[in-house]
Amino acid sequence: MSAPAIRREDATTTVGMAIFLGAVAMLFAALFFAYAVMRAQAPAWPPTGQAPLPAGTLGLNTLVLVAASVVLHAARRWDVARARRGAWVALALGAGFLAAQAAVWRSLVQAGSGPASGIYGSVFFAISGFHALHVAGGLVALALVAARGAGPRRLAACTLYWDFVLAVWLLFYAGACLR
Amino acid sequence: MLSFSRDHKVIAKQFLALGLAFLAVGGFMAMLIRWQMAHPGAPVPLVGHVLFGASGGIISPAAYTSLFTMHGTIMIFFAVTPILIGAFGNFCIPLMIGARDMAFPTLNALSVWTMAAATAVLTASFFVPLGAPSAGWTAYATLSTAVGTPGLGQTLWVVAIYLNGTSSVMGAVNYITTIIRERAPGMTWFRLPLTVWGFLMTSILNALFVPVLAAGMVLLFFDRVFGTQFFIAGSTIKGGGDPILYQHLFWLFGHPEVYILILPAWGIVSDLLSFFARKPAYGYRVTVGAFCAVTALSSLVYGHHMFTTGMSPLLGESFMVLTMIISVPAVVLFLNWLGTLWRGAMRLDTPMLYCLGLVFTFGVGGLTGLFLADIVADLYLHDTYFVVGHFHLIMAAAVLLAIFAGITFWFPKMFGRMMNERLGKLHFWLTIVSLNVVFGLQLVIGYAGMQRRLYDPSVYDFLRPLLPLNQLISRAGFVLGAAQLIFVFNFFWSLWRGRVAGENPWEVGTLEWTVPSPPPHHNFEELPVVHHGPHELGNPFVRARLGRDWLGQNEAPELAAPPPARSDEPEAAEPEVAS
Repeated sequence: MSAPAIRREDATTTVGMAIFLGAVAMLFAALFFAYAVMRAQAPAWPPTGQAPLPAGTLGLNTLVLVAASVVLHAARRWDVARARRGAWVALALGAGFLAAQAAVWRSLVQAGSGPASGIYGSVFFAISGFHALHVAGGLVALALVAARGAGPRRLAACTLYWDFVLAVWLLFYAGACLR
Repeated sequence: MLSFSRDHKVIAKQFLALGLAFLAVGGFMAMLIRWQMAHPGAPVPLVGHVLFGASGGIISPAAYTSLFTMHGTIMIFFAVTPILIGAFGNFCIPLMIGARDMAFPTLNALSVWTMAAATAVLTASFFVPLGAPSAGWTAYATLSTAVGTPGLGQTLWVVAIYLNGTSSVMGAVNYITTIIRERAPGMTWFRLPLTVWGFLMTSILNALFVPVLAAGMVLLFFDRVFGTQFFIAGSTIKGGGDPILYQHLFWLFGHPEVYILILPAWGIVSDLLSFFARKPAYGYRVTVGAFCAVTALSSLVYGHHMFTTGMSPLLGESFMVLTMIISVPAVVLFLNWLGTLWRGAMRLDTPMLYCLGLVFTFGVGGLTGLFLADIVADLYLHDTYFVVGHFHLIMAAAVLLAIFAGITFWFPKMFGRMMNERLGKLHFWLTIVSLNVVFGLQLVIGYAGMQRRLYDPSVYDFLRPLLPLNQLISRAGFVLGAAQLIFVFNFFWSLWRGRVAGENPWEVGTLEWTVPSPPPHHNFEELPVVHHGPHELGNPFVRARLGRDWLGQNEAPELAAPPPARSDEPEAAEPEVAS
């Protein structure tokens, strides 16, 4: 393929990715809207007698997610072999984030603050759980891209997606997990 | 048919087969519903003992609730969506804009197989303990939560709708990107056929608002499976969920959804009226503007579905005014259709008949919408058969007529053969008369106060006098159902025995008619260069030069221009084609 044809395909991928992320953004916007309604209608937030979320542990998880994004951004400037290693590192960090989230969920359930414990647990588990599914989807895509040699176009699309799930998480962490 | 093909034309046919099959299932359910309305509590003839053996052939209240739930779900999400958007969108967009395929062919294939998975999950929901979903097609909470509808069936419904939405969003990403990026040289925005404009606007709404429904489904799923409390009212001390939140999420999607379904129909009809009136579409740019205006406004009117939820009067009135305003572009569009027809050289082939039928039913359906947009009238008409009649006139009658128009029009391009005209006309006349009786009289019984979703209206004294009308509606409904068998026969008969179609049997100029029927794998031998709009019909200069009244979008630019003046002035330079 000639260079202009590749640039053309780049632009097409970017347009498609932007529309897709717009759609997913609407999904999370609607979930946040639901959260806002729940919070606005509650007499107190967090509801009376509700144990607070482990903001510190969740903050550490957030840093892991940020690190994965930083690695992906760096990998875009590296040569192909190194970029591929970078993609695998990002993949490991992403998997680490999921494992750490799962640990948080487990400890919350064991402490009696599971999804069925009330509206506070409902919001945290539904949104963080659904976010984790999107991280998992990103990991599958990243694994496919890394296995196929981490070409610049695919890596760029992965990075964009990763920034998106990071942004969603930061919003949720700031809006729901911090007091 | 069952291959993982990435060719948009094969994917279109897969969507078509899937959609038509579910159209038949949904239609059959409508027949059962009408039987119950005409003969409450009587055993269903022929199929009763097979389907409702446990209740002696009688449709039980639980079965009836499942029937209208699944009828609505199937028709909207699994029949109209795959046919109108999946099949026509896939088939037409690349061919009409002069592209070899969609921008993302693999994603396109994933879209149809995700839809297939959704249908599998939905079908499975019939065969689980506690039976099929039965919370209505809107699945309002708390009826749709584990409290109102326990059992796996409703949970599978939630999953099926989520998968269906995923498929729609995949399609939308593809359609929008394809239309933005893959247009042939010279195919400027205002040379796009109106069909493509319709799909573009539909796809934008799909990309933006189907995810909102998906969010509702996610929360409903968590409520049902993990015991969260989004849609279950909580205590005043600890706070808690809100059933009305579900309605907001549902209708924030649900109202754009009706435009998602009607915009492709509008696009197809706007093109076909021009093609068969042998005139350029009247007010092409204004029609495009009307599409855009409707798309923009459609997200701001959803509250009119919720006038009875006790919303603030200020909010309700705002939604009322906005709903009235959205009828302005709709009326502009309607007038443009009439302008296109005005003094046209009409060819009353079957696709045109379906289009004219659509213009009529859409007119009636649209006008009845104004009653429901008005808060005062809506408080009375809410949840009556008036609503049922209104949305069936548009979502069922008008959209189905567009589907029939589209199938008969593009059948020769899809399969290389013409559909039978005589059978088509018979089908059209039986359909148009019976559907107007069915849905017109539903307006009447709704106005008389009959609520929708009633199992047996005769339990109410004031509804008993409506029984003869209900029986008339049902008879007309059975005629409508039987008439569809003619279409089914015509479809399959024409598939193998229809007259072989040439490249351009309808003598129109859009790009899909410049390639063989059916088109080769990559559509165009050589990418076309576009010089004209989509409706270059009845141009006297073309007639003088070529002896025909149409001009292909890719034919030489000078063919449509007036002849050079017979003076010694130098000829004007040909306009450069933008690439």
